[in-house]
Amino acid sequence: MDKKFARRISGGAVLAAAATLALAACSSSGSGSSAGGSTTLKLVVADYGTGPSNASATYWDGIVSAFEKVHPDIKVNVTSIAWTNFDSEVQTMIQNKQYPDITEGDYFSNYATDGLLYPASDVLSDPGNLLSTFKASDSVNGVQYGMPFTTSSRTLFYNKKLFTQAGITAAPQTWADVETDAAKIKKLGDVGFGLPLGSEEAQAESLLWMLGDGGGYQTDGKYTIDSAANVQAFTFLKGLVSAGDTEPNPGTVNRTDLWQQFAQGKVGMINGSPALIPIIDSAGVLQDSDWTSVPIAGKNGPLTVTLGVCDNVSAFKTNGHQAQIKEFLDFAYQDKYQIAFDKEYDLLPATTSATKALSSDAVFGPFLTALPNSVQYPSDTAWANVKAKVQQTIGLAVTGSPSTELSQLQQVSTTSAS
Amino acid sequence: MPALRRLAPLLWLSPAVALIGVVVLWPVVVMVQSSFQQIGGEGFVAGYNGTANYAHLFDEPDFVSVLLRTLIWVVAVVAVTMLISLGLAQLFHQRFPGRRVTRWALIIPWAASVMMSALIFKWALDPNVGVINVILHHIGVVQQLGSNQADWLGNPTSALIWMMAVAVFVSLPFTTYAILSGLQGIPGDVYEAAAIDGATSWRSYLAVTLPLLRPAILVATLINVINVFNSFPIIWEMTRGGPGYETATTTIYMIDLKEGDVGQSASMSVINFLLVIVIVLIYLGSTRWKEQVDR
Repeated sequence: MDKKFARRISGGAVLAAAATLALAACSSSGSGSSAGGSTTLKLVVADYGTGPSNASATYWDGIVSAFEKVHPDIKVNVTSIAWTNFDSEVQTMIQNKQYPDITEGDYFSNYATDGLLYPASDVLSDPGNLLSTFKASDSVNGVQYGMPFTTSSRTLFYNKKLFTQAGITAAPQTWADVETDAAKIKKLGDVGFGLPLGSEEAQAESLLWMLGDGGGYQTDGKYTIDSAANVQAFTFLKGLVSAGDTEPNPGTVNRTDLWQQFAQGKVGMINGSPALIPIIDSAGVLQDSDWTSVPIAGKNGPLTVTLGVCDNVSAFKTNGHQAQIKEFLDFAYQDKYQIAFDKEYDLLPATTSATKALSSDAVFGPFLTALPNSVQYPSDTAWANVKAKVQQTIGLAVTGSPSTELSQLQQVSTTSAS
Repeated sequence: MPALRRLAPLLWLSPAVALIGVVVLWPVVVMVQSSFQQIGGEGFVAGYNGTANYAHLFDEPDFVSVLLRTLIWVVAVVAVTMLISLGLAQLFHQRFPGRRVTRWALIIPWAASVMMSALIFKWALDPNVGVINVILHHIGVVQQLGSNQADWLGNPTSALIWMMAVAVFVSLPFTTYAILSGLQGIPGDVYEAAAIDGATSWRSYLAVTLPLLRPAILVATLINVINVFNSFPIIWEMTRGGPGYETATTTIYMIDLKEGDVGQSASMSVINFLLVIVIVLIYLGSTRWKEQVDR
């Protein structure tokens, strides 16, 4: 009996080892795309929706079905991916050589320098209509590859109801204001300042604080993550966190979750984009008069520049569908679709013609005027790697040592740049 | 003719050999090869890189702590799983009404997707509205919802403990069944003999049951060690290894590295692979499994 058992043991061990290895290996297979004279485009988009009712797949399906009526020879398959996973899933597709034709979401210059992307002028009839603000950050050696599809700028949202309860009358303008106001709101039992430094979008929140004292990721095109101004900004944040004026453990908290809490009326102040507005509306807790948004607080006064973010379309040349991609992008970039997207998600348009159409709008107007003065993320090839590390580790700078964490990130940026 | 006949078994073995070659050995070769190549985040091979990937990996400030954490993770999860399973198996070995149903119920954590279980625990531990926190709040353990104390997954130490608990939870069914089948294989007469010799029930458990369970325990431990070592969904879903890498094991670290540097990630994989082999060999050596075979 023992012998039999032993044989089973060794069999089991071999099987387990085999299974482990099989799991370690990733399967990959290429996908063909043309059949019977028609071409299928693979469109991969980030999901901006807050739930099934306003999922981005619905928006794109609308464009695709209108497009397929006009162009029966081109089929478009839409894949939508949650923002948190967008970068890594697209990257996995590319690592496995399962290239999409078009992506809409983050754009990385690495893909352009590796020769994977069409220049904007190859796949758009009128690339000059794209907002010029983002042209530099979307270009490599003077050729534009990233095509802005939607843009947003950041402002400081605060809960007026909580402010009144805490006896605060003025809007926060400086870091000192943030500190005292957050402490007062904390006494009410709510979160004073919502600080999402978790992996979802830590790079945005961090930059908004770096800007507060004249810092940033780069100075004159060189990474200066561990600059004195940045260390000072994170030292201030560390004080805020240790006083308990933020949510606990900001390094593990994501933007989406914290925005939801703001919408529930549980957070006093938070940096947000217009995309926070539909979340507030759908929660139904705060009335329009209960919250407002103002320029981001800086060390000595409100910021005159803010973070301008654009989400880009990239067109991959690896499947060779240039003509079809051009047909589709020209169709999708029509003003009516730009405006529909912005109305759906309270984001801003990315083309000059759509901006003109919206500039007098009461909600969008102020954000649109702030856009030209905005600061953008770095756009060099090191950024993809730096951003991933910032997302994973910068939260430690508000619990551990700001200078140590920032200098480690600086080191990542110098090794990635080489 | 006889020569050909001697070759006949090869014919039957060849599909299995081919499968092992393609699915098991080939990926290992590619993995080792990649670990010496320079491969960026886009998956393009930019030539051989010597041992630079390994050098970079060993220079990572988090590398040593990630290794140590992996060790703690594996030892703690497997040890606790085995202890609880020994008890559970003994329980399910007894005759009691509803035994069949409870044995079925035991399968549920095993049948459910691990990712799903991890997500459910993550939600249950939400600092503001998680059901575990709400209950703990009601019985007075958690003073205030939304506080640092309620944010179990935000603090690396408590996050690790909770994630280990989830890992134990999903490992229990398999382990318990493995031990249960071992228990059922022990003939009743050895217990009779022990009773005649005047052994107490505790004594007969230590002197009769445990030694006879050894093969089952050996297999269950081995499979658990490999499983837990490579476990990815629990930590990925609950903390993503964060804050920073303070709750990451080597498997999570490897996946995170893959986003920016496939070559370095492959070198982490190779080390992971060697570690599993070493751990298994040490374990087999220390339990003298050869004796089990030759006995």
